[in-house]
Amino acid sequence: MTVVPAQQTGGGGGSSGLYDVLELVLDRGLVIDAFVRVSLVGIEILKIDVRVVVASVDTYLRFAEACNRLDLEAGPRKDPGLPDIVGQVTESGARGKSKGALSGAAETVSEAFKQARDDGSERETQSRPRARKSSSSARRKEEQE
Amino acid sequence: MSTYIYGITAASHPGLPEGMGGVGDPPLPVRVLREGELAALVSDAPEGLRPKRRELLAHQNVLSEAGAAGCVLPMRFGSVAPDDDAVVAVLDERAAHYRERLEALDDRVEYNIKANHVEEAVLHHVMAGNPEIRALAEANRQSGGGSYEQKIQLGEMVASAVKGKEAEDALALERILEPAADAVSVGPESTGWLANVSYLVNRATAEEFLAAVERARKELPHLEVRLNGPLPPYSFVEPGPAEPAGTAAGGTRTGAG
Repeated sequence: MTVVPAQQTGGGGGSSGLYDVLELVLDRGLVIDAFVRVSLVGIEILKIDVRVVVASVDTYLRFAEACNRLDLEAGPRKDPGLPDIVGQVTESGARGKSKGALSGAAETVSEAFKQARDDGSERETQSRPRARKSSSSARRKEEQE
Repeated sequence: MSTYIYGITAASHPGLPEGMGGVGDPPLPVRVLREGELAALVSDAPEGLRPKRRELLAHQNVLSEAGAAGCVLPMRFGSVAPDDDAVVAVLDERAAHYRERLEALDDRVEYNIKANHVEEAVLHHVMAGNPEIRALAEANRQSGGGSYEQKIQLGEMVASAVKGKEAEDALALERILEPAADAVSVGPESTGWLANVSYLVNRATAEEFLAAVERARKELPHLEVRLNGPLPPYSFVEPGPAEPAGTAAGGTRTGAG
């Protein structure tokens, strides 16, 4: 049978649809203690790592770059004066190094996560929840077969 | 052959997707196991089932098909019973519990809301309200972008200010949406969003909820609000009597087969 893909709202492309419900399908829903669950080890590790690691370094660097590009004229502009940057920079040197290493790990994880997401994308025609109308017609079709 | 379980419904459910393709490659047909007033949507469990995109979608599609026609208690992805008899036995043993949940969730669907800031808008807000950050950004810019450490320092300050704004906006969003829902379930935090909240909504008043979402988008234009639904009520089935032993990392298998 064919499943008619339809999305209620503007959630973006096909992969973001699954991405957005991924944690519902994996982490919520009914669990019955008498049954086993297939191993989700890979996915759990990815989720945790992406959450923790990217939260620090990648975000900081991205924000810093974005601030550099930001047009300050568009916001309220006072003359703020220069804070004591030099002392703070020396202090953060060691931290910078360890974060550099973490940043590498984050890239690896992100890459793996991307691969996981791309996995099986050739099946894109079967996609996501669909509107009530189309699903009932799909069902009718099936009943006829 | 072990049995994969998608969800539990009333036996009187008017549109069970029997024969629909489920997990596995090629997709294994969905079967219905009935016991008393309850039914379970199952299929054979494929060998070596993994949480791949195709399998997750199959699980979700079977459940939304069933959920479109009536109430279904969705299983978490990947639940495998030793055989059909074990599923039927559980339906029998816990019939009262599942009937109660089906009744409580009848005619109700889940909408999941994820929201994040439009980055430029929130950065403007943060810079405008924080002279120290503005000064540091300006200094970095004048020195050609700043060193790695300077960037990290600035980014850290911005991130902290953004986080404060995120909490504020998450609350504002929830205040708009909550009155239009029967129940609220807050999902795990992540850096990907400032709000990840599921709302249980009566089908009859779903339009009101969708209108509230539109209102939120208008009132909080610096947010990107993503709506997913209607979904089976994943976040509102409540855990059964006990958490499974099988969820421990590394300790799982797909059943004895």
